[in-house]
Parts: sequence; structure tokens; C-alpha cells
Amino acid sequence: MSIFKRAFLYVIRKRGKTILLFTILLIMATFVLTGLSIWKASEAAQLDLRQSLGGKFDIFVDWSHSPYVVRETVKEEYDEETGKTSTNFIMYSTVQFTPENIAAIKGISSVKYCSARQDTLLPFDRVSLFPGTISTDAKYQSYTKVLGVCNTEDDELFTTGTLTLAEGRHISANDTHVAIISQDLAERNELKIGDYLTAHSYSMEDESFTGQEIKVQIIGFFTPSVVEQFGETITTYDKIQNRVFVDLQTSKEFDGGEINYGFSALHITIDDPQDMARVVADIKALPGIDWEAFIVEIDNETYENAAAPLATLNELVVILLVVIIVVSAIILALVLTLWTKTRIHEIGVFLSVGIRKSAIIGQYLIEVLLIAILAFGLSYFTSNAIAEQIGNHLLKQSMQTEQEDENDVSVAVDVGADNLIQKSLPTESGIHVSIGLYNLAQLYLIGLAIIIVAISASSIMVMRLKPREILSKMS
Amino acid sequence: MPILELKNVFYTYEKGKAILQNVNAELEAGKMYAILGPSGSGKTTLLSLLGGLDMSTKGSVLFDGEDIMTKGLEYHRRNHVSLIFQSYNLIDYMTPVENVQLTAKLDVVPILERLGLTKDETQRNVMKLSGGQQQRVAIARALAFDAPVILADEPTGNLDVDTTEEITAILKESAHVFGKCVVVVTHSGEVAKQADVVLEIKRGHLLFWKTCFLPEGLL
Repeated sequence: MSIFKRAFLYVIRKRGKTILLFTILLIMATFVLTGLSIWKASEAAQLDLRQSLGGKFDIFVDWSHSPYVVRETVKEEYDEETGKTSTNFIMYSTVQFTPENIAAIKGISSVKYCSARQDTLLPFDRVSLFPGTISTDAKYQSYTKVLGVCNTEDDELFTTGTLTLAEGRHISANDTHVAIISQDLAERNELKIGDYLTAHSYSMEDESFTGQEIKVQIIGFFTPSVVEQFGETITTYDKIQNRVFVDLQTSKEFDGGEINYGFSALHITIDDPQDMARVVADIKALPGIDWEAFIVEIDNETYENAAAPLATLNELVVILLVVIIVVSAIILALVLTLWTKTRIHEIGVFLSVGIRKSAIIGQYLIEVLLIAILAFGLSYFTSNAIAEQIGNHLLKQSMQTEQEDENDVSVAVDVGADNLIQKSLPTESGIHVSIGLYNLAQLYLIGLAIIIVAISASSIMVMRLKPREILSKMS
Repeated sequence: MPILELKNVFYTYEKGKAILQNVNAELEAGKMYAILGPSGSGKTTLLSLLGGLDMSTKGSVLFDGEDIMTKGLEYHRRNHVSLIFQSYNLIDYMTPVENVQLTAKLDVVPILERLGLTKDETQRNVMKLSGGQQQRVAIARALAFDAPVILADEPTGNLDVDTTEEITAILKESAHVFGKCVVVVTHSGEVAKQADVVLEIKRGHLLFWKTCFLPEGLL
């Protein structure tokens, strides 16, 4: 009779033991599978979080230590009443980021966006702006913020979804004398795509934008996803509807000099915060960037704060899994050892008829495996029923623990002067735990290992006994 | 040519008590042997040595002229001997057919039917059979295994007189008709009378008696 038939007969004829072992294995498998699926869900949530948040860092001119920073006095004024002299000066770096530097940085793998701007406040001719809620000098009531960019598609306002291109096209690196304005501003001034806006370059002599006339063609309209709330204080030039994007060349012309030929700061977004160190190293290795002029400031706090509960959950699940596996192996080994002792008669008979000890242990293994196949299969349904609840309960516990540790943890995408849109994080709505075939395959492998360990431990007695001793015990 | 031989066999318990001393014997195929002796005299020990369930302290057991240790005791048990016990030693979760099939080399059902089990009885759980029927199953297992040596330890110890006679007749038939070497450990004089040769263990030594010349008082 084959070892498989003997095992099969035992399983179907010893129903009480089979049901008990099935129950033990089902409970064990449910815990292991639940642990594995929570682990997988936690890993997936971390990946989702990383991809959703991305990593961010800024590179900007080191105004304190760079040898390329120049401070030029523009005008000195003497106050006769106080007898004091005040000095107006400009400060700039002779080394700036160029569009070529930006293109090279964008070429590095994992770099998602590289955003750079020149900010200028200036008035456009015959453009009626939306008024702000803070009263400013009369001069500034016609001024708006003009952002000179290489590429609006990479600008943080667009990449975060705060602004959306509603009509027309984005500004690209090869454009000159083009602009994108808000749809609201266009409607207020009856402007359409293809129309021109007129402004003047800055005149050092007049200290105002009275220089050369510069015309920019409107190539697109944007719509903001959010505007300031009712009652919120804001200046006219900060209102998002008044914002004007222009190309870098035009921005430089507005500036009226050669000082600002590029950008003094870059804002870089990468796909995965885990790649941060590598990307920074790659950027530092790029030719054509003088690192005496710049410093890097990494902003991983948002990701780290958001990922901390998931990391805690991960650690917790791994510890639980190890405990479950070890405890399961011990319980199974104890149960099987007890049962082996009750099967001493059977062992003696098998040995007396010449069946090898290895074949006897093999039969025990097959018996447990036959039951385990069914129990592990059924655990798919039992785990599915509880995994999501347990996973999210553990996540809540982890989040509470993190909050206690950190006192004040705010999880947000970014909060800047422009009120960037807030994204909901994957962890806020809990983790989605589902059990897949991969988890089931893992369970079968882990279960097999547990069963082999338990059978080996319980069979030590069988291996030690001599046939005569067993037969003596039988009698 | 003996099929089993004991050569200068000694067996001593771990505590130092010598149970068999310089035992020599030659057992032939086609004969039934009965081993007699008082309790604790070493009958079952002798059977265990012949069956490869235990090893002698000194001396050797030969099968077909070869020391059974050469190929190993497990090999000897698996190929040369069939064991029958007083307590039947059947597997409780199997039917008679399945019990016999455990090691069967021959067709199982005809053997069971020849030993008096009905078809219905052969398909029942073995524990639901009477003692005599269970011993028949144990003998059927030994016969179906078709080993040249059948070793039986008190096979009729738990059976009534009628069944004892039937079982003894089957064992005798196994020796005389099927050419097996049958060795039976027994306390029963009736069983011993049916044997061709009686081996008496006396103070660790083995004495041989032809059944027709048995000394008075032995049985």
C-alpha cells in the first residue's frame, strides 16, 4: 500500500483528529495570511504614498556664503530731519541656473519636475486687475506678479493642480514674448488667445517700469482650482487671478538689465522620496553647476511624517508574523507529538512489517499536508473577512503612537504662499487590504515550512525508538 | 539447507542478566517449530532476534547462509519474515483488506476468504471483527506478504479452543503446503503438538525435541 493511500485513509477515517487539526491549521493560516496581506498592503500604501507625495528639494543661491554674491549700492539718501543716510542696494549672484542646467537636471532619472521662476512685480498697460483686499500704495494697485519660467508645465502651481491650463498651450523653453493669464482676467479685459499685453522694462534711472515697450502674446488661459476665501486678506498683485506667466527671455527683458540672466532657485520634484540622496548626488555630479554658489535644502519631512505610521505598521506586522509562525510551529509540534505517542501501536505494526521509519514520518507529513491544503485554501475567505479591519485597526494604533511621539504631526502636500492645493494622502482613508494569489503562495510556503518543522520535532521520538522497544510498549 | 540459523547467539539485558547463552539452531523451510519455555525464559527475545526486531549481544543470525546484519535488520524484516502477534497488531483505521494490503505481494481477497472471512467482513472496520477474525486477518497479512519465514508470538493466546485449532491448522498448512518456515512461540501444548519440532528454552539454552519424542511434562 502506498504512503499516500495510508495517509489518505488516516485522514478520512480519523475524522475527529482531522477536524481538530484542520481547525488549528485554519486559525494558523488565517493569522499568517492576514499578516502577509497587511504587510503587502502596507508596502503598497508606502509606495503609493511615495509616488503620491514625491520627494521635493530646493537648490538656491547660498546668499550667506557664496563668493559670487554681489551687493551693489543703487542710491544713497540723506534725511535732513534725522541726519541719517539710508542706502538702497541690490543683491544678486553672478552665478545662476540656466535653462541648460534645468534641462540637464530634468534628464536625471526619477526627476519629475524642475521648477524655476523669476518673480517681478510690474504693471501692464490697459489691463484691469482684480482688486485685492489689502490697501497698498496707489502705485502698486496696477501691479501684478509676473512669473518668468522656462516651462509652465513644470511649474509647481500647475504640477500640484492648483492651476489648470484651460485653453491654449503651455509656455515652453523655446518661446519668447508669450504669456499665460487667467481666464477670469481675460474675460474681465475681453482678451483672447493671440491678443497682446503691453508692458515696459524697468528703468534704473526712473526706478520704475518706464523703459522699453515689450509686447507679449497670450498663448493660454489658466483656471485656478482654489481662490482665496471670503474675508481673506490679499494684495492685488498676489491674487491668483491676476497672475501672469511669461517666458524667461521676456522676464529678463522686463528686468531691464543683465543681472538676472537665469534663476537663483530651483524647486525639484522626484518620483520617489527614497531616491532623494541618489538624485541629489547625480545633480551635484552634473557639469556646468558651480556648487560654491548653491546649497541644497531637502524637504522630506512631509513624506517622513506621512510614512511613519505605515513604517510602524510594517514593523508591527513583521513582528506579529514572526510570533505567529513560531507559536504555530510550537503548537503544531506539541499536538503532533501528543498524537504520535497515541500512534505508538501503529508505528510498531508498520516497523514489524518492514515499513521504514522515513516512510512512517512521510505518511504523517502527507496527512498534515492533505489537511493543510484545504485549511489554507479556506483561510483565503476567513482572512479576507478580517484582514482589512485588523489592518486598519493596527494602522490607527500606529498613527496614534506616532502622534504621541511627534506631538504635532501635520500631513500635507505643501503649504506655500500660493496656497497649493492639498491632496488627500493614501493613509488618510486607511489601507486597502486584499489577499492575492501571491499571498496565498507565500502562505503555502510558510505553512509547509511550519509543518516540516513541527513534524520533524514530533518525530524525534519515532526516530529514536527501536522496533523491539515499540513492540514492548505495545504489549 | 536451513533457511534460518542461529550461531553462538548470546543475549544479555542492559542490566546484565543473560537471557540466551550460546544458542545454536537450524530452522528449515516447510517445517513448523514451536518454542516453549516458562515466562521470562527468552522465547519472545529469540523470536525478535529471528525476526530482525532486535540484535543479539553476541553471535549471529543467518538467513539463507547470510548474516542478516549484512543487509540490515530493516531489509530482513521487509523481505524475509512475516510477524504475527498475540494482540493481532492490526491498523485500527483500516479494513481487513487494507490491513493485508499494507505489505501484500499476493492477491488479498482470496487469502482472506480462504481464512474464513466473508466478503462483507473483509470490508468492515477491522476493530469490529471478533478476536479470531482479527487473528485471521493478521495471518492473512503474513501469508499475503509471501515471506519465506512466518514468526508468530502467542498467536492463539487470546483465542478460544476451536479458533486455536483452526489458526494452528492454518499455520501448519502454511509450513507443509506452502513451504514456509513457521516458528511459533506458545504456551499451548495443543499448538506445540502440531509442530514438527519443539524448541525448549531452559536456563538460556535451547533444547530440540521431535514432537513424537517429547519428554513427559514438557507440555
